[in-house]
Amino acid sequence: MNLSSFTAKTFSLSPFACMNHLYRIAFFLLVLLLSGKTVCSAQVVPETFLTVDLKQAPFQDLIKAVEAQSKYRFYFEPETVDSFLVSVQATQQPLSSILEKAVSGTNLKFAITEQGHVLLTQGKDFMANLPDGFFRRDTPINSSGQRLAAAGANTKPYVAGETSRKKAVSEAKLYEIGVKRENATGNANLAGHLRDANSGEPIIGASVYIQSPLLATTTDQYGYFSLTLPVGQHELLIRGIGIKNSKRRLAIYSDGKLDIEVEEDVRSLKEVLVEAEKDRNVAGMQMGMERLDMRAIKQVPTAFGETDILRVVLTLPGVKSVGEGSTGMNVRGGSTDQNLILFNDATVYNPSHLFGFFSAFNPDIVKAVELHKSNIPARYGGRLSSVLEVTTRDGNKKKLAGSGGIGLLTSRLTLEGPISKDKTSFLVAGRSTYSDWLLKKLPQETFKKSSASFYDLNAQINHEFDSKNTLYLSGYFSKDKFRLGSDSLYNFTNRNASVKWKHIFHNKLYSVLTGGYSHYGYGVNAENNPVNASKMAFEMNQVNLQADFNYFLSSKHTVDFGASSILYNVSPGSLQPVGSESLITPDVLQREKALESAVYVSDQIDISPRFSLYLGLRYSMFNALGPRETYLYAPNVPKTESSILDTLSYGSGKSLATYHGPEYRLSARFGLTDHSSVKMSFNRMRQYIHMLSNTATMSPTDTWKLSDANIRPQVGDQVALGYYQNFRANTVEFSVEGYYKKMKDFLDYRNGATIILNHHIETDVANAEGKAYGVEVMLKKLTGKLNGWVSYTYSRTLVRLNNPAVSEIINQGNWYPSNFDKPHDVTLISNYRFSQRFSTSLNFTYSTGRPITLPIAKYTDGNVQRIFYSDRNQYRVPDYYRVDFAMNIEGNHKVRKLAHSSWTLAVYNLTGRKNPYSVYFRSDNGKIKGYKLSIFGQPIPTITYNFRF
Amino acid sequence: MRFHIISLKTAFYWLCLLFLAACEEPYNPEVIESSNKFLVVSGFINSNGPTTILLSRTQNLSESSAPQKETNATVTVEEENGEKFPLMEIAAGTYSSNALALNPAKKYRLFIKASGKEYASEYVTVQQTPAIDAVTWEAASDGLQIKVSTHDDRNSTRYYRWEYEESWEYLSFYHSVIEYVNGQIMDRTPDKMINLCYRFNNSTSIQIGNTLKLSQDVVSNFPLVKVPANSDKLDRKYSILVKQYAQTKESYEYWEALRKNTESLGSLFDPLPTQLTGNIRCLTSPEEPVIGYVSVSSVTEKRIFVTDTELPPSYRAPSPACSFDTVFLGEEAAYFGGGSNIPIDRIITNDRVLIGYGGASKPCVDCRTLGTTAKPAYWE
Repeated sequence: MNLSSFTAKTFSLSPFACMNHLYRIAFFLLVLLLSGKTVCSAQVVPETFLTVDLKQAPFQDLIKAVEAQSKYRFYFEPETVDSFLVSVQATQQPLSSILEKAVSGTNLKFAITEQGHVLLTQGKDFMANLPDGFFRRDTPINSSGQRLAAAGANTKPYVAGETSRKKAVSEAKLYEIGVKRENATGNANLAGHLRDANSGEPIIGASVYIQSPLLATTTDQYGYFSLTLPVGQHELLIRGIGIKNSKRRLAIYSDGKLDIEVEEDVRSLKEVLVEAEKDRNVAGMQMGMERLDMRAIKQVPTAFGETDILRVVLTLPGVKSVGEGSTGMNVRGGSTDQNLILFNDATVYNPSHLFGFFSAFNPDIVKAVELHKSNIPARYGGRLSSVLEVTTRDGNKKKLAGSGGIGLLTSRLTLEGPISKDKTSFLVAGRSTYSDWLLKKLPQETFKKSSASFYDLNAQINHEFDSKNTLYLSGYFSKDKFRLGSDSLYNFTNRNASVKWKHIFHNKLYSVLTGGYSHYGYGVNAENNPVNASKMAFEMNQVNLQADFNYFLSSKHTVDFGASSILYNVSPGSLQPVGSESLITPDVLQREKALESAVYVSDQIDISPRFSLYLGLRYSMFNALGPRETYLYAPNVPKTESSILDTLSYGSGKSLATYHGPEYRLSARFGLTDHSSVKMSFNRMRQYIHMLSNTATMSPTDTWKLSDANIRPQVGDQVALGYYQNFRANTVEFSVEGYYKKMKDFLDYRNGATIILNHHIETDVANAEGKAYGVEVMLKKLTGKLNGWVSYTYSRTLVRLNNPAVSEIINQGNWYPSNFDKPHDVTLISNYRFSQRFSTSLNFTYSTGRPITLPIAKYTDGNVQRIFYSDRNQYRVPDYYRVDFAMNIEGNHKVRKLAHSSWTLAVYNLTGRKNPYSVYFRSDNGKIKGYKLSIFGQPIPTITYNFRF
Repeated sequence: MRFHIISLKTAFYWLCLLFLAACEEPYNPEVIESSNKFLVVSGFINSNGPTTILLSRTQNLSESSAPQKETNATVTVEEENGEKFPLMEIAAGTYSSNALALNPAKKYRLFIKASGKEYASEYVTVQQTPAIDAVTWEAASDGLQIKVSTHDDRNSTRYYRWEYEESWEYLSFYHSVIEYVNGQIMDRTPDKMINLCYRFNNSTSIQIGNTLKLSQDVVSNFPLVKVPANSDKLDRKYSILVKQYAQTKESYEYWEALRKNTESLGSLFDPLPTQLTGNIRCLTSPEEPVIGYVSVSSVTEKRIFVTDTELPPSYRAPSPACSFDTVFLGEEAAYFGGGSNIPIDRIITNDRVLIGYGGASKPCVDCRTLGTTAKPAYWE
């Protein structure tokens, strides 16, 4: 906040250096005001009686009149008064009574000082904005939000189509949109980008709305919004994660653009855990959707002290994991391969590092994580259970900046900045472990022979050609290597690249063209014994092209449509000898190729402020392509090696199997009150690729299999119903969501299935049917010293293999719990902020142990000893229970520091509970004994140093 | 004040151990601890000959004793709505019937009364096992491949299971012509020779095959077993008896599942195993698991012999580590007295003077260490 004199124009033209001084003056003045003692005396300036006669005149005219007659000097923000007209008639009256008349019915406040300074402010904002404006005095003037606007040069209203794209940064100024017409009626469209005033980063998922009539929209992943409003004056409100609640005054006459820059909510840096748009819970269309902001994620303690996105996602209701070190997610009873993990729109197939103890995403560059688990927008497809979208920051468009962290096992560094200011920005980040080096230092022999290391690299460039065209380039590379004991050396690699071109046709229509490439591959090298030296490898590549269109048809309709196509190329496995002595016979599985295409259209219809509908339809098609040979199996008997009838050969590019079908995406929201609503949704998803895993957890040796003539795609239907209520001015959110899900043809394994290097995998898997149902209850407190969430989930997920024509019948054809069926789950994430610089978090999680098939007896049949196993998944491992604690200590908040730093001290598994990671049986001296292995069986303290410059 | 100074290195070790010292604890859930003594039924109902059934009990995983046999049980083969054929306990847990000739048009089941509980299999149709056409062999570079061929003119068998019994003749490394008896070295009489023995081995792997994909029910050269080229089974003479059992689709699937069910025990990277469900139920308490699958069929057999002269010369078993010791006169008791060394022959100088005896460790001389000198009746 700053004040400038209307008469003393030199202030607005003065060098920026003067501004600091001005702030101080303003501050002192404000203190006077805030103290409640509005002084109105004439000790220095004698009280003057004035005469004015104004009718519907600009406020400035009043000021001119007063200043001409007296020594009073006015101090105000030009915007506060530039838009309204006054009618005052007074003869020989004191200034105070004239001003009282003039401002009556407005929110203007005035104060007259002893020296004859007249201070004009907009009452409420005057106080609220004080501290920020004061403390931010070093920020460059031309990028500093409200302060810039006050410089007075900006009084010219913003007009659509103007070449110099001004950014709406002032709350007080009236922005005029479109061509001013008298008595205009009807609607006009307002579109633009919402950006962070400091970095130029787009702000995702913020609500942009007016209150009466209630017309709202949400910024998309580019920070873009388009809102159709009635012509006239409005107060546009902006609320979102990590930004200050802001508003812009605008007068809209016809379609126009308004780019808005808002300030980061510095104060809430550690206060707000998950600050979703404050009433999105109730008012938003989405259900079963969680959006996590990085600052929320950063508060959750992890085993190795490094912020871990997936680990936080796993604390959300309805998201579970089989094993402690595993990042394989099971969303609402779906298997780990049913999640589409997108990293800047490129598919990531293995989202973990180091056996899943780290997630593949560098926390410093991630902006937000969005998980859709029930109402999945039509633009996504290809997986049954969920879509996890990880978006990175664009890179600072205003100045060079960096950040990083030093932990016990990993370190990371990020650099970002403008290549051409406000136009082009870059961001590069790297992360690596030194665990390998540490292992070598260990005295124990097995550790010395072990190794484990990973690194990942990110690079991004964003370029804004003009106001209508923006290009985004993003690349990701990660590599993992590990060797346990002196056994085989494992390695796996993720490579991703994406190019996005966003083009705005006009206010209401924009398109995004995306091209992406994803690669995932692993290799296992066993070279200990030269005779058996071998190299096993798996590799999958995907190239995808996608066109998405967003059409903001009217205030009631938002239409999305588009098409996408993915070309898969998988080499499912190969075993090759290494070295001349090796006797290994090469074994290479045939390449698999397929094309997955889809078109979609969806319409969000806001029928009334209380009632809205989302109707979406996606039609997807899958072609398995040659060249390939496939087996033809005898019909109506389980596919086994012995039921192979023939081998069919397909030429290059020939389709060997085609599957297609519609996917419905429907949801409805009905607002009960302003603070509560009911939502329901129905979704159908189709999945054409399947993960093959010989373990219950996600492991690096998992391979992916495309649907083909013998493996059908999976189809899943989900209905969900939820009730949402907000309390205490939207600071406490409560939600209950129930769902029922049916899955058809998802893959379960037959007895003793062989997964690796199987030339006819269809003989070892079976298309099973699954069902899942559950209730998720969540209570979130978003603000205050104590914040966090607590959730309880009851969920079941069951499988049935009851078709003798498909496989042997499992568990007498009854429904049995899937590997990740964990009925009860309680999670508490809590943060307590003692001061701006010191906060703590305490997390608690409990879940029922996962099902397990136990060997319960042994017997001798003929002369062979065999093991008698229980029915599949009839027993459970012990319950899982963990408490974590962390402390965050921030450096001081001086703005002019070289680098900002923070320390995180955390203890993972505070109670040292020995949660089983795996349960296994081993024959020791002829006796078979059970063991459970816990990886984090004692409290694990960590310390991490983070910095930002 | 003094602080203990821990070197940076030690601190690192300490931290690393914290991270990586995974901790393993015994895990014994109640179900594993509790005594699981489920009935195990092995054998099949022979529709054309004596039926032999073995009854035993499962054991806890941690037990190391031999499995307990189920004795004093009542075992009968029952025709659906018809005759009952009792089985007699001929050895502990082994029950055998007279030679039966079951009606192929009927269904039969096995009924067991053991430890006060009644058990019964499903009624199963009789499978007529076709004759084995041929058991053939092929000397591949890496071993002797035994193959079986059969066919069913009626095209009705389709599912087959085989078992085999191997036997082979072999020589000890040294041929002993003398023996040490009561402190004396004596010549071996022909009936006391210990250089030529026979060994036996029954199939343990599950051998099944089907002819579903063929227009005719013909099994041609099904690869049954491969005897490695370096196996001592092929030293002199090898014989294999192949037994063939016709299967129903259900019993075939049971064996197929049993074959695939991993015998390794659920480590982190092993596939999840599953229980097999047989066709025997406990009538008294239906929840109690019973292990086994009863099928009803006849059995056909065929035996072949393969001698080493028919095999490539490259087939050689590795020589055992045997050394020929010279035992001078007077040292006999010390060397042979313990029984772990066996005399081979006398050592006589060119002047025909006995100076001592040749000897070697028992496995190098006495073939009975691993087999028997009794020649089987069928040996050619």
